[in-house]
Amino acid sequence: MKTNNENGCGLCDATWGEYFREIDGDNMVFCCSICADIFQEMVKRVKENTGWKSIDYVELHGNYSKGRECTARSGNDNFSYYFRTYSDGKFITFEKR
Amino acid sequence: MKCPVCLEPLESYVNMSSHFLSENEKSEPGHVMFLNRYIYKMRIGKKDLQEKLEGFFNMKDGFRGWIIKTFINRFFRESPHPFIIENQHPKPYLIRGYAIEHHHFLWQWVRSCSYIIGNSDNDDVVQYEIENITSEWYGTHDTPSHHELLLRMGEAYGLTRSEILNSRPLPATEAAIEFWSSACKNLTWQEGMSAMHSLELIANRKIIEYGGKYGYFDPSIMNSPEINAEAKEFLKEGYLADVSHSERALIIISRHSDMDTLQNCQALFMRSIEYFYDYLLARIERGHLLENKQ
Repeated sequence: MKTNNENGCGLCDATWGEYFREIDGDNMVFCCSICADIFQEMVKRVKENTGWKSIDYVELHGNYSKGRECTARSGNDNFSYYFRTYSDGKFITFEKR
Repeated sequence: MKCPVCLEPLESYVNMSSHFLSENEKSEPGHVMFLNRYIYKMRIGKKDLQEKLEGFFNMKDGFRGWIIKTFINRFFRESPHPFIIENQHPKPYLIRGYAIEHHHFLWQWVRSCSYIIGNSDNDDVVQYEIENITSEWYGTHDTPSHHELLLRMGEAYGLTRSEILNSRPLPATEAAIEFWSSACKNLTWQEGMSAMHSLELIANRKIIEYGGKYGYFDPSIMNSPEINAEAKEFLKEGYLADVSHSERALIIISRHSDMDTLQNCQALFMRSIEYFYDYLLARIERGHLLENKQ
């Protein structure tokens, strides 16, 4: 699964840390286990909302403070959403946009 | 000095830089997040990191000036805290969430103040904390406590007093009050005071003057019917009281501390505002949980 974060962490794009986790068959790199947890939960919620089997690409904008405005793509379908978490990765908000 | 994440004692910024790089090699979340949020998002070498850490912790405007600047940056500047944005014109759900979670905060608050008294032999510290405990929890013959005003606000928005008093804090609130309890009980009174009283800057009336995008709330709500009298009374008390509380505490700490102690206080402050950040989010979460229950 690709994201617009091409420098480093798949969620926040930071280049500190190097934590790998398999997400949907892809070995993705994150800065830490919390970013990996958040990304994994985000993917799960997108799939629950859309019924998709897989996600090709996620565009993420925002940060920990603002929350993240995202668009996920699977084939020709798009799904836009917003989410925010606590610092331990627990979700507070996940909304379709 | 201490690490602002794990509070490990460190001898210098050279050590601090090495410590962060070592934790970064393990992808330790707390240290990585600190670097991302406060220092630099891109990986840099030991010398550059040391210089950036020194720059971040530099107290050229004094201890009080550094605390205020760092607090404003975290909660009020480029990405204001979500609670602050919503509290400009608070909706009933937010006030209800505020009432429940803040009850737990104040319950711990006065206990933390008591630990600070127990750890100090300075009269100005004892006097300051006794005044604080009185105004926050007990009140006087003429003036209800801030806690009593909080309960009245919650009641005015449909909660019962027993519902507030018998509630359990949300996990983020619970984690925060455990940290504040432990810090004030086990560390120096200066570190305890830094962890607690810097948080009162949240309602400081000078926030915009200090560079914040917003204040704690939009003052126009005090003259409009959008919030009720009990909410106005609660917000007004905090708004008026906290200017002297927060800044006076920082002055007392500076008066009694050498540079090494102040550097330790910086670390405690950094830990504390991370817990406080999540605690403020818990006010929002609680509000939504109550709304969904109805």
